[in-house]
Amino acid sequence: MLSVPLGWFIAVSSALFFIGAAGVLVRRNAVVILMCVELMLNAANLALVAFSRRLSDATPRGSVFVIFTFVIAAAEVAVGLAIVLAAYRNQPTVEVDEIHELKG
Amino acid sequence: MSPPGVLVPGPFGIDPLVWVVLRLLIAVLLVVGLIFNGALLQILMERKLQAWAQDRVGPYHVGPWGLLQTFADALKLIGKEDVRSRFTDAAFFLTAPAITFTPMVAAWVVIPFAPGVQGIDINIGLLYLSSLGAMGVLGIVIAGWASNNKYSLIGGLRSAGQLISYEVPQILSLVTVVLLAGSLQLTKIATAQPGLQLNLFILPAAFLTYFIAALAETNRTPFDLPEAESELVAGYLTEYSGMRWGTFLALTEYGNVTIVSSIMTTLWLGGWNGPLVDQAPILGVLWFTLKVYVIIVAFMWIRLTLPRFRIDQLMNFCWKVLIPLTLTNLFVTATLKVALPAPWDLIAIGILNWGLVAAFIVLIPRLQRRRLERLRERLRTERERTLAPTA
Amino acid sequence: MDFIAPLIFVILAAIVVAGGLAVVLLPRITGSALSMGLSFLGMAGLFALLGAETIAFFQVLIYVGAITVLILYGVMLTGVAPAGADRRLFFQKQAGWALVPLKFVGVVATVFALSFQSNVVQQPGGDLEPLANAVFRDYAFPFEVASVLLLAAMIGAIALVKRGDD
Repeated sequence: MLSVPLGWFIAVSSALFFIGAAGVLVRRNAVVILMCVELMLNAANLALVAFSRRLSDATPRGSVFVIFTFVIAAAEVAVGLAIVLAAYRNQPTVEVDEIHELKG
Repeated sequence: MSPPGVLVPGPFGIDPLVWVVLRLLIAVLLVVGLIFNGALLQILMERKLQAWAQDRVGPYHVGPWGLLQTFADALKLIGKEDVRSRFTDAAFFLTAPAITFTPMVAAWVVIPFAPGVQGIDINIGLLYLSSLGAMGVLGIVIAGWASNNKYSLIGGLRSAGQLISYEVPQILSLVTVVLLAGSLQLTKIATAQPGLQLNLFILPAAFLTYFIAALAETNRTPFDLPEAESELVAGYLTEYSGMRWGTFLALTEYGNVTIVSSIMTTLWLGGWNGPLVDQAPILGVLWFTLKVYVIIVAFMWIRLTLPRFRIDQLMNFCWKVLIPLTLTNLFVTATLKVALPAPWDLIAIGILNWGLVAAFIVLIPRLQRRRLERLRERLRTERERTLAPTA
Repeated sequence: MDFIAPLIFVILAAIVVAGGLAVVLLPRITGSALSMGLSFLGMAGLFALLGAETIAFFQVLIYVGAITVLILYGVMLTGVAPAGADRRLFFQKQAGWALVPLKFVGVVATVFALSFQSNVVQQPGGDLEPLANAVFRDYAFPFEVASVLLLAAMIGAIALVKRGDD
């Protein structure tokens, strides 16, 4: 019924995942790194939903997994931002390579 | 999934293909008309009501009894020069009104005005409305930041905290109704309340919590901290003028008020149900509109009556009062729904809900008073301690 | 009707990938945050195209409505760095070297993925009921564990940012 091949969805997913991974490596701003991690989680979600629709079980296992990913993502952002804020309070910067108090 | 009922023959034997186009046209005109005229009408209503409550005359210059005042205001806003400070962040500043306006327009798609008079009857209508309601926050935060103005920034930050917090009781109250109706489809929830068996009588506590949370979500008066005139100039609206301001304040705010009122009408007041609807379904639109406007007038009445919250009171009220209340309500409703057979569960849920409302009305002022007394006591002892050595 | 679904797919995919690229490449952090929201919206569209409408609206509710706003909140609280402050190490040497194999793997994976030819199967009647049955029957225990995780994250976040004096 739907004429878009599964591979296209997986291709978008993998492209977005690698964009996110590259972002984590090249950006120094802690908040941007958090965003890139979110992008990677989202890419994984797309792959899960696409494969779940392909398998077409009675129980959409992939979609259930995506619900759990939402929970993980929300928890991750909350804790991640709290860590960034705590670090910012300690030393007013969000650049990850300038937070080196323990480096001695 | 093909949308249900794309090619259906229209009334009066209209050809299916023509009816598709005609239906779209009618729907678009209806929504645009409802948003624009609704905003104009509601602003006029609000000003007249405020005037009567404060023993004034209100707008009376333009048209008979000032009826055309808001049309004149709208013309003025559209004709105004589009002023923008040089230090604002142009791209974000210009798109922010659109970001809040678009989800509001999109929400009208699923509002069931009458049987058959609805954009699309999707089976997750309530989820759709909640997710669109959550999107509007983004524009307000962006507006606050892009204005490059301290008052705007504080307004945007307050708004983000307030809207995210109050989304929790709002959605929890919706879930209580969904539990009882067994569906997220708005038409099914409306038809699950035949006659006087309204959810308002069975779930008044959920209605109360949703009403309060909706006031906060639409930035209406006891919760209008993001745009508090007396402390923040105009909050995130400070740098806006002309029709951008009009889109933000007039269209979006009043549109959102209409949408939450429609949700309340559908979920608690039986939607389009009313006398003679079975004979003439189009009468449903009349009943629906009447119910919506009753709720809107209640919103305005509250604005006239209550002073504004402080930001800490706002957060405390949400997290310490509203969320425990909605969680208790949800837990009790779910347990009773599973535990008791068909007619008795509704009665038990109704009794417990009225009990929760009574507890809310009786206990909250008492708790507040006790806290105030304790605060006064502490202040008095502290003053005596500090005054003692000098005496 | 056969060209409509691919057309919608291409538009949505372009939004998702462009949004993702903008997150990484835009020098201003608020720009990154907004383009992330755009990318999430496009992703919700892709979910809806796959026939998972419930997931799509949860995506909008959680990612666009909550996570993007939360990140913007974080941006404003940590102060906005002047544009270009992130440039000094924007393409730092080590990361550059790490990127070469990463890009290679990414391109290979994308091309490989494009070769999957089977079409997506659509079930009639939406995905709300199967999803609800799966989450609250088969996966009820993991669901409860996830709620404990959320509670732990909430308490942890509050404990991390709470000041000592109040």
